[in-house]
Amino acid sequence: MQTYLLKWWQTIRISWSKYTAYRLNFFLQVVGPFLVFFFIKYNLWSSIYEGSSTPVIKGYNFSDMMHYHIWTLIISLLGQGYAAMNLSEDIRLGRISSYLIYPFEFWEFHTAGFVSFQILQVFVSSITLCLAVFFGFIEFPSLSIILTGFSFTLFMGMFWFTMQYFTGLLAFWLEETWIMRVLLSIIVSFLSGYIFPLELYPEWLVGALKYSPFPYMSYFPAKIFMGQEVNLTLGYSVLTFWIAVFAYINHLIWKKGMRLYTAAGM
Amino acid sequence: MSQKVIEVINLTKQFKSYKKKPGLKGSLQSFFNRKYSIKKAVHGFNLEINKGEIIGLLGPNGAGKTTLMKMFTGIIVPTSGELTINGHSPWERKKEFKKKIALVMGQKSQLWWDIPAMDSFLLLQKFYELSNQEFKQRLDYMSELLGVVDLLHVHVRKLSLGERMKMELMASLLHNPDVIFLDEPTIGLDLVAQENIRAFILDFHKKNGTTIIITSHYMADVQALCKRLVLIFDGTKAYDGPLEKFENILGNEKTVSFTFSEEIPCCGYLDEFHGEWNEGRTSVDIRVPEENLREVGKKVLDLHPVIEFNTEKMPIERVMKTLMTNPEVLRAQRDHANLPA
Repeated sequence: MQTYLLKWWQTIRISWSKYTAYRLNFFLQVVGPFLVFFFIKYNLWSSIYEGSSTPVIKGYNFSDMMHYHIWTLIISLLGQGYAAMNLSEDIRLGRISSYLIYPFEFWEFHTAGFVSFQILQVFVSSITLCLAVFFGFIEFPSLSIILTGFSFTLFMGMFWFTMQYFTGLLAFWLEETWIMRVLLSIIVSFLSGYIFPLELYPEWLVGALKYSPFPYMSYFPAKIFMGQEVNLTLGYSVLTFWIAVFAYINHLIWKKGMRLYTAAGM
Repeated sequence: MSQKVIEVINLTKQFKSYKKKPGLKGSLQSFFNRKYSIKKAVHGFNLEINKGEIIGLLGPNGAGKTTLMKMFTGIIVPTSGELTINGHSPWERKKEFKKKIALVMGQKSQLWWDIPAMDSFLLLQKFYELSNQEFKQRLDYMSELLGVVDLLHVHVRKLSLGERMKMELMASLLHNPDVIFLDEPTIGLDLVAQENIRAFILDFHKKNGTTIIITSHYMADVQALCKRLVLIFDGTKAYDGPLEKFENILGNEKTVSFTFSEEIPCCGYLDEFHGEWNEGRTSVDIRVPEENLREVGKKVLDLHPVIEFNTEKMPIERVMKTLMTNPEVLRAQRDHANLPA
């Protein structure tokens, strides 16, 4: 057991050094999203509110709206940063062969990579949080809110990972998987409440989404961070269900993909 | 009795592929009405390899060498036939099996590009569950022998091809495998690097008694490393036997080249051999039966102003070239001479 855990630990360390190998890249990763947020979301919403005759849109005044969006930004950094680029490249370039030879499985390797990425993202999102507090966009929430929010978001990150893993595995069949990923991220952005809070959507749609994973990817954790009441049990249950679904689908796809791979001999 | 490490009986691998015409129309057509074709990459292949042998697996591009290597290492699953490596069926991909083999692919890097080789080695140490002492001992031995001690902490992407290949070898051999599969380990390397790698492989083999299967298009690799050759053509075994026998497969004639200080007029003793002259008739390559080599050499030296002469260093290269352009020769030879296949 100990030797097995050491394999994981060393893989996490290696992935960590890979992620931080390019310092400028790392710096941009920290600062970039915050700047994008400031220049696009902040300016967009301030013009919307300036042009609007009512200072409150569906219960959100300008300051609420900014709070909401700062939190969705932090949530997306913490829970939706991982991209299965390496994974699909491994498949496309036939690097799977190496993993079939090592006494450490492909999924173990990439899951360890994900864990390491998440640790990095905890730093990145914490820095963003501090920047947001420093510039006066939000106030620092209580410790219990921070803990509840971070735990839920990290759990959501696991769902995000299983979904990314799914798109990565499609590289067995598709030449390029980035179109799939962009498509997925657009759908997620809209349905999760990353672009607009879900109150702005028709009620039937919000109702329909309740048991889908989407609201729990931005809207729901944002509400936690904003100190509003949410049904945590429902949130965790829905996400657990979807994690299990995707993990099973991934298992099947991997099996089918491997048959294809070993039959085609890339 | 020597111990069998690899046993292959009637091994066959078929690939199913489909043809697609270019463009959108072709894509749609192939989506709805796909025409598959079956290609036999390897068929009816038999082989037995004993512990500690170094085998050269030769054949032209697309003959099935890499397919065989991939089946041996469990990367791909055979269509039919039996295959055991050290008592394991490779395609089951058991951890105990994986710890006993290594695959080095000259054309594909197994090291992680963005980190120093040492980090990859440390990861492999954990993967293969090596103790710190074993790890350090093997790392020191290999890095010193390959002369890369100073490069262990350099990012892999900054290494030259030769340096990287040495690191690849180290990465694959750290766990001291029983069987090593080397797929074109010297491809693209300069002569010195090629020699270093060969010397390293020989030393490693001597020290550990490892069984090694090597594929290469460089006959110098084969000449230096292998005592036994297995030739594969169109997925079937065309030759299996000692290197020396292979060199003489087309007869025991040797090519001898002479260079003269002046033009040699036609038509004297040398023309009896129907050799290949250069344009100015100042040099010639002739084919001489091995047993007449001394006699002919002496006579030419006496008759003509020879300034240089040599016999071919690698007859195996000539044999391979002939067989690759003219594979029927082998079949004919085999039928006549009853060569092992």
